[in-house]
Amino acid sequence: MKQIPVKQLARTLHIQILRHNPCDPQSEPRLQTFELEEADAMTLFIALSDIRENQDPSLQFDFVCRAGICGSCGMIINGRPGLACRTLTKDLPDRITLAPLPAFELIGDLSVNTGKWMRGMSEQLETWVHSQGLEQTSIDSLETTMEPELAEQLYELERCIECGCCIAACGTAQMREDFVGAVGLNQITRFQLDPRDERSDADYYQLVGDDSGVFGCMTLLGCEDMCPKQLPLATQIAFLRRRMASV
Amino acid sequence: MQIIYTDVLVIGGGLAGQRAAIGAKRRGHDVIVLSLVPAKRSHSSAAQGGMQASLGNCLGAAGDNEDIHFTDTVRGSDWGADQQVVRMFAHTAPKAIRELTAWGVPWNRVQRGDHEITVNGEKQTVTEADAAHGLITSRNFGGTQKWRACYVSDGTGHAMLYTMSNQAIAENIPVHERMEAMALIHEDGRCCGAIVRNLMTGELLAYVAKATCIATGGFGRIYRVSTNAVINEGMGAAIALETGIATLGNMEAIQFHPTGISPAGILVTEGCRGDGGLLLDAREHRFMPDYEAEKAELASRDVVSRRMEEHIAAGHGVQSRFGEHLWLDIRLLGKQHINTNLREVKEICQYFLGIDPVTQLIPVRPAQHYSMGGVRTNHRGESPQLRGLFSAGESACWDMHGFNRLGGNSVAETVVAGMIVGETMADFCDSPSGALNISTALVEKFGRHQQQLLSGISDTGGSESAFELLRLMQETMTGNVGIFRHGERLQEAVTTLQSLQQRSQHIRLRSSAAGANPELVAAYRVQRMLKLAQCVAYGALQRTESRGAHFRADYPQRNDLEWMRRTLARWPDDNAMQPTLEYEALDIMNMEIPPGWRGYGAKDYIEHPDTARRQQQIDSVLQRMEGANRHTQQETLMPFKHLLPPHLRGNNQRLGDEQ
Amino acid sequence: MAKQLNLWPARMDVLQSLTGLLLVMFIWGHMFFESSILLGKDAMLWVTRMFEGAHVLDKPYPILVSGAVAAVFLLIAVHAILALRKFPSSYSQYHNLHRHIGAMRHADTTLWYVQVITGFAMFFLASTHLFVVFVQPDNIGPYASSDRIWSGRFWILYVLLLISVHLHAGVGMYRLAMKWWPFKAQTAPLARQRLKLAMWCVIGFFLVLGSASLLTYMKIGYDHADRAGERYKPVSSSTGQAGH
Ligand SMILES: Cc1cc2nc3c(=O)[nH]c(=O)nc-3n(C[C@H](O)[C@H](O)[C@H](O)COP(=O)(O)OP(=O)(O)OC[C@H]3O[C@@H](n4cnc5c(N)ncnc54)[C@H](O)[C@@H]3O)c2cc1C
Ligand code: HEM
Ligand code: HEM
Ligand code: SF4
Ligand code: F3S
Ligand code: FES
Repeated sequence: MKQIPVKQLARTLHIQILRHNPCDPQSEPRLQTFELEEADAMTLFIALSDIRENQDPSLQFDFVCRAGICGSCGMIINGRPGLACRTLTKDLPDRITLAPLPAFELIGDLSVNTGKWMRGMSEQLETWVHSQGLEQTSIDSLETTMEPELAEQLYELERCIECGCCIAACGTAQMREDFVGAVGLNQITRFQLDPRDERSDADYYQLVGDDSGVFGCMTLLGCEDMCPKQLPLATQIAFLRRRMASV
Repeated sequence: MQIIYTDVLVIGGGLAGQRAAIGAKRRGHDVIVLSLVPAKRSHSSAAQGGMQASLGNCLGAAGDNEDIHFTDTVRGSDWGADQQVVRMFAHTAPKAIRELTAWGVPWNRVQRGDHEITVNGEKQTVTEADAAHGLITSRNFGGTQKWRACYVSDGTGHAMLYTMSNQAIAENIPVHERMEAMALIHEDGRCCGAIVRNLMTGELLAYVAKATCIATGGFGRIYRVSTNAVINEGMGAAIALETGIATLGNMEAIQFHPTGISPAGILVTEGCRGDGGLLLDAREHRFMPDYEAEKAELASRDVVSRRMEEHIAAGHGVQSRFGEHLWLDIRLLGKQHINTNLREVKEICQYFLGIDPVTQLIPVRPAQHYSMGGVRTNHRGESPQLRGLFSAGESACWDMHGFNRLGGNSVAETVVAGMIVGETMADFCDSPSGALNISTALVEKFGRHQQQLLSGISDTGGSESAFELLRLMQETMTGNVGIFRHGERLQEAVTTLQSLQQRSQHIRLRSSAAGANPELVAAYRVQRMLKLAQCVAYGALQRTESRGAHFRADYPQRNDLEWMRRTLARWPDDNAMQPTLEYEALDIMNMEIPPGWRGYGAKDYIEHPDTARRQQQIDSVLQRMEGANRHTQQETLMPFKHLLPPHLRGNNQRLGDEQ
Repeated sequence: MAKQLNLWPARMDVLQSLTGLLLVMFIWGHMFFESSILLGKDAMLWVTRMFEGAHVLDKPYPILVSGAVAAVFLLIAVHAILALRKFPSSYSQYHNLHRHIGAMRHADTTLWYVQVITGFAMFFLASTHLFVVFVQPDNIGPYASSDRIWSGRFWILYVLLLISVHLHAGVGMYRLAMKWWPFKAQTAPLARQRLKLAMWCVIGFFLVLGSASLLTYMKIGYDHADRAGERYKPVSSSTGQAGH
């Protein structure tokens, strides 16, 4: 880190993008290749912005935080789902293929409607703390205590950024539209663990006790391997499966 | 054009917008939230370090209360804040955190027994009390006397926003995602909704509402190097400005965060320093104590950022292929601590720098971070000029931050303001003035106007590139309206921005793609961002003093005599090339803490005669009231509770208080 | 709970795993017994007799074998029906899945595909095998089996079945562990790595064992081809009865 690395000859990147604009009735899905000089510390965010600014201003993609924390920029990078904003081009070969995440509604080019999917999932699985008299809780008095480790465990599960990579990485989700995926199952385990949520296992069973839920998962583990936040998805799904099988 | 009717329209799905929406919804009003992106992707999710609330549970926070939080915030603001608002805020922040706790935020908790902490580069052992075990803990942040930043590892904003969004889903509040408010519909000084563009199809719609709330976050993207998300382009503030009626307050007050990673500008949290991290220079010498003996790395952000730039200018920066930077050292915190309490930081270092902060130094340099200014509101969150328009969160100038915001005060503000503004809007809708009589002709007129503007951009016949103009604007702002400001450079910026604005009337679109058309988006946004940039640059040029984050090298002193006032910028009409500025006085005679020294940074300032008078007044009141409890004393000096919604007026219970 | 829970999905999931587990246990055991041929014809005969109950009853009852076959067949049927639910059920599902697997090149997903294909293959292969041992339970033994394998060309079936069943069983056990075992989040990745390694070792072991016995049967069958149909006579007969 101390010395300034010698600058190497810049590579020319060939970025092949699956393009399609559903708003345009003329548009057919097609692959388009852009050529681009690689720069130091270039991420796919920088590369795509550069292409949009200098080559094709109609190129659609989603970035928000560009720091790997908001989950907007999931896409298929050389066959595998990942967050484009924190993928450095130097870690990729000079031919890069980009495609939108499958299993989500396509907005255009690399942009897909993960938001709508996630909201649907949240509504279906009721991913919020269910507690009687929540509105009556006094906010003047001391908060109820919680074991420090439990709080940390909860956060571990809450680190999910709803990027959709686990859905794109899951064979089941490719086949079944109604499958809530690792993202949904993980969130259920998060609320199950939370003492503030008063739901019983039977209640959770109603939400995930079928093939669109935990019993649909075939343990393909793509989710676990491609989750950019490295959530313990396999462990959580196994946990939920045991709980639900013994309701 | 499709028209959608609702009681309350909240523009912005961040923490502020969603909390306001929940408040209004619970009062029985129909609410729709608009957002450029799915709500959970709003930039609130990027807040890492913490939320300030004076719970006083852990050892470092013992003895904390609203009064100390209030004092810290006022000092931090360099006396630019509205002190009544700061009082409202400090009083409500513990309630906000407790509400979020009930909703499910997994705040880190106090662990009883011995802990090793790092203070001033040295390890110490502290012992947490049994009684505090399991209550919400907090960490140290810059510019505060107590450990007050409550946190969820270093994903505080993420955890808060997810909980908030889930609660909004539970309340059945529709969020219309990928919808951009393009203009406010208004007539006779009354705002009645917005013209909105669908960012998936490009279609224009109208949302008509009794109350409209702007909660669109910051506008950091007018700068080249910013910690902000790429969607933080200030469109909410811009459309308020474009009404020609509503004003923007203190736009020149821009915060620079000391530790953006170099060169990407991605933030690593203040929690790094709060937990004991140090700033080092090229020689790996810890330089902050040389400048700020007492607070060192934990002086307020404006001070640390300036000292860092000063140190780089003095030739102590680390050279790199991306320019100069300094080092942030968190190695001394240890692997365990970094892996549990600073994991996002670790990930950022790993992915964007390819380093491991457990063993390596992090290259940092100050970057634009926060906009204290925004849509000017009164203490209840309503625009004083445009009825029916409200604002909350970073997009507002409710004015609790003045000229510098303390770390952790912003997410706290979003929730507190949301709690208050939600009620204000509900009250407004319930009151006779909430009634709306609006003709569809008016709506159509605003819609047509936007349509014309958009098609105007498509065939200006010009040759300018929107992306190019954006870049030039950003460079001007970072280069000339940055941490150190100077009259000539500011003048230069104003001139450049004006010419850019002229040029932005001649943008040529290369693409006519159906749907949202990203190039068209860039084009209409850059036109508006240029207006905001002008408010910032022009405001900074006019303000011939240094206060908080606004530092004029040619006027290095804070000047209370002339500048105890808030800048209000207004854009007189569509064709204007410059904002008009007005000023609103801050009355020292109503302050609970008259202007003084902040406890860090430069000590010299030009005093206002009222300061001494007010201090005398206060002293004598306090003397008279000796023995009275702190609430009564405070109430006498500067009453504020009447400004709060009734259910938020109760006193906050703390550990050791009687039930 | 106002609404009655439908517990069938849970039951079916458990049953699928349980039948899979039992089948794996069976097939692994089966491999050892059937490989007794490696220890010599007498050993194989002894094992055969054992299954026919000769060691506890007065004489061998091949019908016992038919009974066992029926039971195993039932297990397979239940397992296969349950598993079939997971097969791609339409062309578009199959297409999506195929594209997905091709693009991702993800080991565990591909392994599942292997299970689907081997399961599908076993549908036919195992049925044939089971049918044969079911209808001719007395036609098992050092020579009888070898003749079937060599002269009856059954080795072709067995090669395919051997590969299918062990891939399927090995992967199945790994999957069962990942599906149900209460690993701790911190240790799970390591455990998974080890399990995967163990899986390949087990698959390899059984393939070697199976190939060795199959070759042995083939060798015996080849040598015995001109006298195919003749039953084996133990060299030192402990039971004194004629072999199959
Ligand atoms: C990297 C980083 C770290 C931070 N860390 C901390 C911290 O530790 N502690 C702290 O207190 N503060 C922190 N802050 C500041 C704090 O996060 C923000 O000030 C705060 O979250 C802003 O919240 P908000 O609700 O006002 O806006 P945001 O969360 O930014 O939400 C804005 C919303 O408005 C929508 N929107 C914008 N324009 C339009 C439009 N035209 N039409 C429709 N919708 C629109 C967006 O889609 C979005 O939903 C940090 C900021 C950054 C950048
Ligand atoms: C002949 C018909 C068979 C078919 C069609 C079949 C099919 C399948 C399929 C598709 C799966 C994956 C199911 C899932 O992931 O949910 C599976 C799993 C499994 N199979 Fe089979 N199989 C057959 C026979 C066998 C046999 C003979 C064995 C034992 C040797 C076996 C052992 C297993 C095991 C252990 C699993 C994992 C169980 C689980 O995931 O719950 N299968 N089978
Ligand atoms: C109770 C039921 C079963 C009985 C009695 C049985 C019996 C036998 C016997 C006697 C052989 C030796 C060859 C022969 O005589 O043809 C054999 C071989 C074999 N069987 Fe089975 N079997 C049973 C079930 C199964 C099942 C369910 C499977 C797998 C799905 C299976 C797979 C095999 C294989 C792969 C071989 C060849 C082994 C090798 O390569 O050495 N069998 N079986
Ligand atoms: S579980 Fe992981 S991959 Fe799935 S949405 Fe959450 S962060 Fe993304
Ligand atoms: S990839 Fe899919 S099948 Fe299950 S283990 Fe993950 S959800
Ligand atoms: S843009 Fe936020 S995760 Fe990539």
